[in-house]
Amino acid sequence: MKFYVCIKQVPDVNAPLQIKDGQLVQDADRNILNAYDASSIEEALVITEAHGGEVEAVLIGPEKAKETLRKALAMGADSGTHIVTSGDENYDSFAYAKILATFFKDKEYGYILCGKQSQDTDSGLTGSMLAEMLNLPYSTNAVGLELQGDHIVVKRQGDTGQEMIELASPGLVTCSNDMNDPRIPSLKGIMQSKRKPVDTIALSDLNAGISEADTKTNILSFEEKPEREPGKKYEGEPEEIARQVAQLLDTEENVI
Amino acid sequence: MSTLLTYISINDGKIKRSSLEVLSRCNELAEKHGLKSAALIIDQDPAPAAETLKTYGPSVIYTIKNPIFKNHLNTPLLKALSTAVKQIDPRVVAFASTEGSKDILGALAANLSAAALADMSEFDLTDDGVKGKRPIMASKIISAVEAKGTPVVLTVRSGSYDVVEKQTDSSVESIDFAFSEDELKVTLKEIISASSDRIDLSEAEVVIAAGRGVKDEEGRKLISELASVLNAGIGASRALTEGGAYDPSLQIGQTGKVVSPQLYIGVGISGAIQHVAGMANSKVIVAINKDPDAPIFDIADYGLVGDLYKVLPPFIEELKKIKQN
Repeated sequence: MKFYVCIKQVPDVNAPLQIKDGQLVQDADRNILNAYDASSIEEALVITEAHGGEVEAVLIGPEKAKETLRKALAMGADSGTHIVTSGDENYDSFAYAKILATFFKDKEYGYILCGKQSQDTDSGLTGSMLAEMLNLPYSTNAVGLELQGDHIVVKRQGDTGQEMIELASPGLVTCSNDMNDPRIPSLKGIMQSKRKPVDTIALSDLNAGISEADTKTNILSFEEKPEREPGKKYEGEPEEIARQVAQLLDTEENVI
Repeated sequence: MSTLLTYISINDGKIKRSSLEVLSRCNELAEKHGLKSAALIIDQDPAPAAETLKTYGPSVIYTIKNPIFKNHLNTPLLKALSTAVKQIDPRVVAFASTEGSKDILGALAANLSAAALADMSEFDLTDDGVKGKRPIMASKIISAVEAKGTPVVLTVRSGSYDVVEKQTDSSVESIDFAFSEDELKVTLKEIISASSDRIDLSEAEVVIAAGRGVKDEEGRKLISELASVLNAGIGASRALTEGGAYDPSLQIGQTGKVVSPQLYIGVGISGAIQHVAGMANSKVIVAINKDPDAPIFDIADYGLVGDLYKVLPPFIEELKKIKQN
């Protein structure tokens, strides 16, 4: 069975961030494979290693994002497609989903896997948008996948418990990073990744027909989250500080 | 008159507080902009919730009733929402941010060719859409965003607005909806649920969060005792849910639940940004950690530096005394 995994290069949220004139300034060297996408790759690899099949990673991004596609190949994906953008586009989830939908229109596959959200914007929209555009059954926030014959069973984290869902093929699943621990590429994997096939498509050649109307949301500006007023630290005898704070929570904060 | 439509999430027959927060905000915006605030209930038995909603101010309560909505399934929910939106033609469809609404927001937007804004911490109307704010970069940064067109579909973080009761003479209108099992390409096999009588973490007034410092059965016992004294919901950091000490549904943070209780007590929690992203909006933050340099102390109102195994027993004792008086 063929698995496509949609991946994205994102800034490392642990890297220092600055805001200048309302714009976000990030350390350009600290770009990584979105953690949720890494889990999607890992899961596709685990399934195909056990049951046979093929994994192709698909990435939309500027030229420099190719290193992230290479990482997916080094982890073990068989091939990759890089849909190259200029990096200046002002696209939102809807526009990216439409680009992916155009790419997948004439493809055959068992399942498309996506990260459940990207680590930088945390929107979590593109996966289910893509499923709807392709008219695929889908499941989001998967914490486990199991191939049973010709279909997969998704364990998804719902509001009150875990839901076991049988998902027909072809279908789409968005993956949580609680699903697995993505492997670190081995040296052998990194060497092999250089010989793996990568199809490079310029966005303009894909004819996705992205117009202004496809970018429906805009980021206007950025601001730092207002810092909380620093509180007080209590050190010393455990009994003493425990009683003191318990009292304050009652008398000062009225939350007991 | 244009409508602001709030989707009402129901869990075990109970309306989720976060939905009432969103409805209260829509009531306020409807008044400010001269629009109509309406609510939408999609459930196997929407009548009781519709009755309850009359005390929360919507002028119309739309209901869709079908046994398929016994459990969350995205295919029928999406179809019902799409049917309702086409009939009501609202300017905004607002949801509380839950695993259920996150599951369908993108697909609904694609279905309606509408703009979508996820996990907003505030929102207002503009002449041709919606503007607002949402946290990004693991909640370290707030981005100001806008969306254009009709409708705009959006989800709102819990704790962003207060619930305001408002007795109204709401009319209840049922929307016709049919769904055949043949349309279901997704089949729910079973729901694995941990004990259902426990307190819903995202709704709890007091939350106790256990972190890596809670190492063993004894530590978990202390957490349970503290939670039962304070009638609190128990959550955990990723380290503990991954290690199997706590159910995955109890994870607080960027990937898990967002909590905004009156009182949050982090026990043995270091305060990694991924965790803080899910609790930074708590009103009062108490942290117990033996490492005086743990980042959680930077945001805690009350930071107790000490071994949780030594601090918790007297802390629990004292709280019990306060509760008894």
